[in-house]
Amino acid sequence: MSNPNSTSKPFDATEDADNPSTIYLVYVSVIGLAIATIALSQMGLRSLALPVQMAISTVQAVLVAYFWMHLRRKDKVVTLTVLSALFWTGILFVLFLSDFVTRWRGGL
Amino acid sequence: MSASTSAHPWVLKHHFDNLHQQHASERLGMWMFLATEILFFAGLFGAYTVYRMWYPADFEFASSHLLWKIAAVNTFLLVTSSLTMTLAIRCAQTGDRKGLIRNLFITAALGSGFMGCKAYEYYTDFEEHLLPTPAFYESEVYKGEGSHDLPHVNAERVKHHLEPISAERVRLFLCFYYAMTGIHSIHLAIGIFVVLWLAVEGMRGSLPPENYSTVEVVSLYWHLVDAIWLFLMPLLYLAGAGMHGH
Repeated sequence: MSNPNSTSKPFDATEDADNPSTIYLVYVSVIGLAIATIALSQMGLRSLALPVQMAISTVQAVLVAYFWMHLRRKDKVVTLTVLSALFWTGILFVLFLSDFVTRWRGGL
Repeated sequence: MSASTSAHPWVLKHHFDNLHQQHASERLGMWMFLATEILFFAGLFGAYTVYRMWYPADFEFASSHLLWKIAAVNTFLLVTSSLTMTLAIRCAQTGDRKGLIRNLFITAALGSGFMGCKAYEYYTDFEEHLLPTPAFYESEVYKGEGSHDLPHVNAERVKHHLEPISAERVRLFLCFYYAMTGIHSIHLAIGIFVVLWLAVEGMRGSLPPENYSTVEVVSLYWHLVDAIWLFLMPLLYLAGAGMHGH
C-alpha cells in the first residue's frame, strides 16, 4: 500500500478517478474481442479454436482487471493477492492435469 | 470534486487512521474474497478441462446444440453492465449523485436482462429435453432424424471410422453446462441485489465522494462475475461452433 497511514495528505476522491475515454476504450475493446471470438469460432479452426478462444478471453479479463478493477494503481498488496490467486489456480491445474492427462481415461 | 478537510469525516471508521487507509483496506478485503472466488471457479473449469480433453467430440457435439446467440447477447449485456458500474464509481468520486444512482440502476437492469435471457435459455433447453438426466433420451437430439441429431451424426462418424458420440458423455457436458452457468447466475443474482442496495444507499445520501470505495468494492465483485462469464461463454457455447446444431 502506498503509505496508508499518511495523515498529511487531504483526501481527494477524484485523485485517481478513471478517465472516461479510457473506460469507453476498454469497453469497445472487450466487446470487439467478444465479436472476434464468436466470428473466429465459426471459421472452423478445429484444434486451434480452444487456445484462440482462451487467449482472447485472457486478454479481455486482463483489460477488465487492469483498467476497470484498478490493478493499474499498482497497490502492492492487492497485486500480491491477485498473483497469489493465479498461482494457486496454477497449482490446482498443474497437479491434477498432470495426473489426468497422463493416464488412460476410464469411466464413460 | 471534494477534498475532506474535516478532522473526522463521518464515513471514516474509528479503527482507521484516515480514509486512504480505510479504502485500501476495503479494496484488499474484497480482493481477498475474489481470490477465493477465482479458486472456486477454477475447480469447475479444471474439471471441465479434464473431460473436454477426454471427450472432445462429444463435448463439441453437445455444445453445438446450445443457444450461442443468446450467450452472445448475454455477453453484451454483462460487459455493458460492467461499463456502467465503472461509470458509477466515477460518478461517486466526482459527487455526481444522480449519475451514480442512474448508472447503478442501469447496471442492475442489464444484469436482470442477463438473468431473463438465461431463464429463457433454460426454458428452451428444458423444452428440448437437453438435460443431464435420463430425460435426455426423450430429446430430438438423441432420437431425432435431423442432420445434427445423434443418430445421423453417429452414422456419419461410423462411416468414417470415428468413435460414435456417446449420449452419456453428452449428458456429462450438460451437467457442466447447468452447474457452471447456474452457479454463475447465482453469483450474478447476488450482485444484482447488492447493486440495488447500493442504489438505495445512494438515494439516501450515504455515498458521498469520501465513501466512493463502497461502490468500488461492489464493482470489483461485479467485474469478476463478468470476467468469469468471458471464459465461460466460449468454453460452453463455442466448443461446437461451426457444427451448426442451432
